[in-house]
Amino acid sequence: MKTMAKAALATLCLSAATAWSAPITFNTALPVHEGGWVLREQLVFMKIADDSTPARRDMEVSGLVSVLGYGVTRDFALFGMLPYFDKRLDIRMGGQDITRSKQGLGDLTVLGRYTAYQHDAPGRTLRITPFLGVKVPTGDDDTHDRLGRLPPQLQPGSGSWDALVGAVLTWQTLDFQIDSQLSYKANREANGFEAGDVAALDASLQYRLWPRSLGGGVPAFLYGMLEANLVHSAKDRIGGVDDPNSGGTTLFITPGLQYVTKKWIAEAGVQVPVIQHLHGTALESDYVLTAGVRINF
Amino acid sequence: MKRLVHIVVLALGLTLGIAPAMAAPQAYKLRVDGLACPFCAYGIEKKLGAVKGVERIEVDIASGTVAVTMAEGATLDEEAAKKAVKEAGFSLRSFEPVPTTPQGTAGGQAK
Repeated sequence: MKTMAKAALATLCLSAATAWSAPITFNTALPVHEGGWVLREQLVFMKIADDSTPARRDMEVSGLVSVLGYGVTRDFALFGMLPYFDKRLDIRMGGQDITRSKQGLGDLTVLGRYTAYQHDAPGRTLRITPFLGVKVPTGDDDTHDRLGRLPPQLQPGSGSWDALVGAVLTWQTLDFQIDSQLSYKANREANGFEAGDVAALDASLQYRLWPRSLGGGVPAFLYGMLEANLVHSAKDRIGGVDDPNSGGTTLFITPGLQYVTKKWIAEAGVQVPVIQHLHGTALESDYVLTAGVRINF
Repeated sequence: MKRLVHIVVLALGLTLGIAPAMAAPQAYKLRVDGLACPFCAYGIEKKLGAVKGVERIEVDIASGTVAVTMAEGATLDEEAAKKAVKEAGFSLRSFEPVPTTPQGTAGGQAK
């Protein structure tokens, strides 16, 4: 379960700069105009269950992820991402069903993105943008319930300062868009727990479904989307020792729809794990539902 | 006398017919590279709209063109247009003044 929660949550963290007409689950290299703002509000529901052990673990995470982007220059943009989580874990212990839960603001991720390569042509653009970010431990990481301190996966924040680095490639035409991202998140220790580092390789294809042919002006686009996220998590460390029931590799596939206008975007997708190679007694993830809007101002 | 009347009529015709066209605001056609989605068009409109004297902006995403109409008496400098397009994150391919049409006939984005 820990691995799946981490893999799914990692895709959220890695989408910190996804505030453009872009993939749902990760970033894009498209520009934020100088002096311009982009706001994204993303609702997420994550289901992690199907535990075959006697503990019958079942975890649900609902979240509202807010992303604000600002174009500092034409090539450099800053993004801030702040999630609000409602986490709930149902578990069977000593013959009793127990529910542990926590709500609250999570950790703030601040990320800078620079356009290192840009090739524009009529109706198309190719861009490569490396990015560097830091996750600040703004969320509460020491919350308790009647059973004691909540496990790290239920805490709204991690308590650690973590680093995020990566690069995105975007090829956008009037008919379709391809994005690909390579990223690495280095997690640090806090409260005796260190989440394993996360490496991810993502790809996305957006295809314009409507209008089939373009007339004059700026019509709204309806994109069909298919995304893939290959996420590898290293083993967590508890008290300096590797947790054998953590870490592994997951491949998510995300079909989705995106409606793009000049000033706003509405989108929805469902992230489904199709391949999971997890260590120990990790749980299988069921799905991650995502719906949201982005606003240009 | 007949010749004089012809001249006067011609002069009146020219005055009435051409003068309004001469008074029409200056317009420009910009070809912008890299423009490939509706969300991107907003940045172009915002940046060009901030240029002094710009009154109306019409983006045509299929052709990658932006028609800019100026307020009466104002002109658009190519360097200013290039800077605005660049700040929006795109590239200006070409810039040309175009014959103007009477004001208020197009459905573009007025400032």
